[in-house]
Amino acid sequence: MLALLAALAGCAVQTPRLLGAPPADLPLRVELTATPFFPQEEYQCGPAALATALSAIGLPTRPEALVDRVFLPGRQGSLQIEMLAGARGRGAVATRIPGTLEAVMRETHEGNPVVVLQNLGLSWAPSWHYAVVIGYDLDAGHFVLRSGPMERQELPFSTFEHTWDRGGHWAFVITPPGALPATASETEATQALVAFEHNAPSHAAARAYQGALARWPDNLTLAMGLGNTLYAQGDKSNAAGVFRDAAQRHDDAAAYNNLAMVLLELGRRDEARHAAERAVSLGGPFQAQAADTLRRVNE
Amino acid sequence: MTLFKRLFSVLLAVCFANGVMIQTAQAALVSTEQVARVAATDASAHQRLNDMLARADVQAELERLGLSPDLAKERIAALTDSEAAALAQQIDSAPAGGIIGAILLVFFVLLVTDILGFTKVFPFTRSVR
Repeated sequence: MLALLAALAGCAVQTPRLLGAPPADLPLRVELTATPFFPQEEYQCGPAALATALSAIGLPTRPEALVDRVFLPGRQGSLQIEMLAGARGRGAVATRIPGTLEAVMRETHEGNPVVVLQNLGLSWAPSWHYAVVIGYDLDAGHFVLRSGPMERQELPFSTFEHTWDRGGHWAFVITPPGALPATASETEATQALVAFEHNAPSHAAARAYQGALARWPDNLTLAMGLGNTLYAQGDKSNAAGVFRDAAQRHDDAAAYNNLAMVLLELGRRDEARHAAERAVSLGGPFQAQAADTLRRVNE
Repeated sequence: MTLFKRLFSVLLAVCFANGVMIQTAQAALVSTEQVARVAATDASAHQRLNDMLARADVQAELERLGLSPDLAKERIAALTDSEAAALAQQIDSAPAGGIIGAILLVFFVLLVTDILGFTKVFPFTRSVR
């Protein structure tokens, strides 16, 4: 019974619904014709797809320049995590988008090419492939991709869904810092930006956090990211403002701790003491750090 | 098993203590990554399960089996945090494409436990006890 169900799970379920009742706010046809094309070298669809998406947002990149970063010669392929890291290494934010065909369509409508992982073979005999979706045609029922050696591949919705389904519905969009994919969830966007901060110069990371906070003002991680990156740039007074706002909004120990440290460096020792005391009394996973901060404030 | 658990918790405690020491020694500001890690563990596994249920392919499978997504949501709401975390982890570790299989497996287990009278998830089952 279970084996049968597992077999059934491979059916294209999104395509009939989508073609039967397409979202009213999406145009019938989208094609990002200005997206550059890099015909892939042997097995190197990963670097080619990534170079395509990077160049499309104004970061001209040749696939050869990415090979060292994202290609594993022994596996004749690229790891998903390294595809995201490779984009960050070039100064772009790489955000995963929901695994729905509608999200892919919506992103192309917003002008964002979508990098997708496909399994062109069968689940038990996989043939992994990265390609870039640049549009769709609802009347003809196909997606348009830059894929491998093909500059313009028309792939029927159901075929695309099958191959993408077997790739785990994995897709991401590359944006310049400050912008985010329209369909990205708060969780995915936050994850993408924390990772971006890890690789990026602090001014770019600050801009990225600022953009995301405009969309999700209640997100503590984003606020902390903005405060930390402003601080890293040496902009202590604005960092203090951001930490204070986050501390009050979320009554959070980490925010109070960072506020206290920045205030102390600004020479506002009394305010710093208040913040540090609050951080200590809130406890939690950063208890030790908060106690340390309070000790410094009282030195 | 208890010995394993004890060893494991000692190991965990040592790791944790080390982590804290390194943190305090290195940085006075709490880093964004640290905050994100705490936020991720806080964001309940319930939410992640519900996100999975919201997937079109998962819903289609549930419907094919006559299970309404609302019912599935109710069941997830009934799980404790640690149960939900365990379930989410189980589904995460399923191979790509096997996610639906894993979710359905859980529902079949629940169906059986319903019939045995351990749980009462589905209104159409009648306990044998």
